[in-house]
Amino acid sequence: MKSAVRPIDDADINAYVDGQLAADRATAVEEALQRDAGLAERVFALRALNAELTDALDPILAEPIPERLLAAATPPRAGQRPPRRWMLPAFAAAATLVLGLGIGWTVRGVLIEQSGTPTTFARQAAFTHALYAADARRPVEVWANEEKSLVTWLTKRLGHAIHAPDLNPLGYALVGGRLVAGNEKPTALLMYENADKERLTLQVRKDAKHVDAKPGGAGDTAFRYAIENGVGVFYWVDDDCGYALSGTLDRTQLLALARVVYGQLAALEAIEHAPARR
Amino acid sequence: MTRDADPPVDLPHPDLVAAIPRLRRYARVLAGDHARADDLVQDTLARAWEKRRLWAAGTDLRAWLFTIMHNLYVNQLAQWRRDSAHDSLDADADGLAWQVPVRANQADRVELQHVLREMGRLPAEQREVLLLAAVEELRYEEIAKLLSVPVGTVMSRLSRAREKLRRIVDLPPAGLRAVK
Repeated sequence: MKSAVRPIDDADINAYVDGQLAADRATAVEEALQRDAGLAERVFALRALNAELTDALDPILAEPIPERLLAAATPPRAGQRPPRRWMLPAFAAAATLVLGLGIGWTVRGVLIEQSGTPTTFARQAAFTHALYAADARRPVEVWANEEKSLVTWLTKRLGHAIHAPDLNPLGYALVGGRLVAGNEKPTALLMYENADKERLTLQVRKDAKHVDAKPGGAGDTAFRYAIENGVGVFYWVDDDCGYALSGTLDRTQLLALARVVYGQLAALEAIEHAPARR
Repeated sequence: MTRDADPPVDLPHPDLVAAIPRLRRYARVLAGDHARADDLVQDTLARAWEKRRLWAAGTDLRAWLFTIMHNLYVNQLAQWRRDSAHDSLDADADGLAWQVPVRANQADRVELQHVLREMGRLPAEQREVLLLAAVEELRYEEIAKLLSVPVGTVMSRLSRAREKLRRIVDLPPAGLRAVK
């Protein structure tokens, strides 16, 4: 059999190395590789080059995402957006008046269940923060020097993968963590501290009952802010977990930190769920 | 009692967040230095929100964002070229401040620096094709569409880029990669 009508050219070799050559040409290249040591060496070198480039450029993917880019990935304020979830209680209140007590009562019950829960979460998070952040000697159960076993332990107890975000670029080092009581299920608490001994806690709980994020519903979730006895809390729901970041620093700083936490967890999730390369 | 201090702030869009690391890498390959690359990513995200009605379900968001970023970069270059004060920012300038990713350890750094420096000497249009084909593993047809050039152009840029790097990068003989 003749090896090929058309001689193997550089375009064939490039496409072959990139796995993009049509099957019949690829067969022709493979036959040529058997005969031609120089060609085989060239293919080897080009493959090695691809691997070198990937090795050199892949670490960029693992770099922490800066806050300004996370802010840029957030829906802009202006524009036509559907009514936000937090507006619903207002509509419902009007409906109650119009439709009468019976129906109103039902709607109210539903709304308390929907909108009441996150408030409880924020409130609970603020109390828990105040309780442990004030503790000088034993704020955590497991210290940061055992981060790996801490994360493993919390993951096991929550039944959900827990990650400790790296807040060092923002001046907050991990102190450690503990398990705290949640509504029905346990909550994982991670504590951070800056050079001025100001403490932050990230609380995570898995609570499928309160999941109200619509699948594929873009931008329907939000960071919500609450303040309780001077403790500010940004909280949000993502997949089947609720997150609360609490601290006594001001709202703007806390939001910047919340974005970074969210961004790191989202990026980790994207990596975990990405199909394996090659 | 807890009071909700103010209206909620939207979360970053998870699909965009997931795309950011790859956008940053592409931007780094185009622009070289960290700050300028991140500016480019930020502009890309802003443009993506402006054109959000074009996010079609089921399409490849990454490729769409890459297209936006490529176009922004090309427009910026045209701007710089018109502005004589910015001659030094020309596409083919080898003054690109290539910076090695932060996580590299000392031994890796030397090798990565070498590869990145050599890549930095290629013209931007060759660097991006190399990234998209060799690292992102996009199909040549997808790359052509993304860059608005014929497939033949993609292939010739790729071939020229590799030819230069093959001579410059000290490609190891068989077996060296196993050492790592």
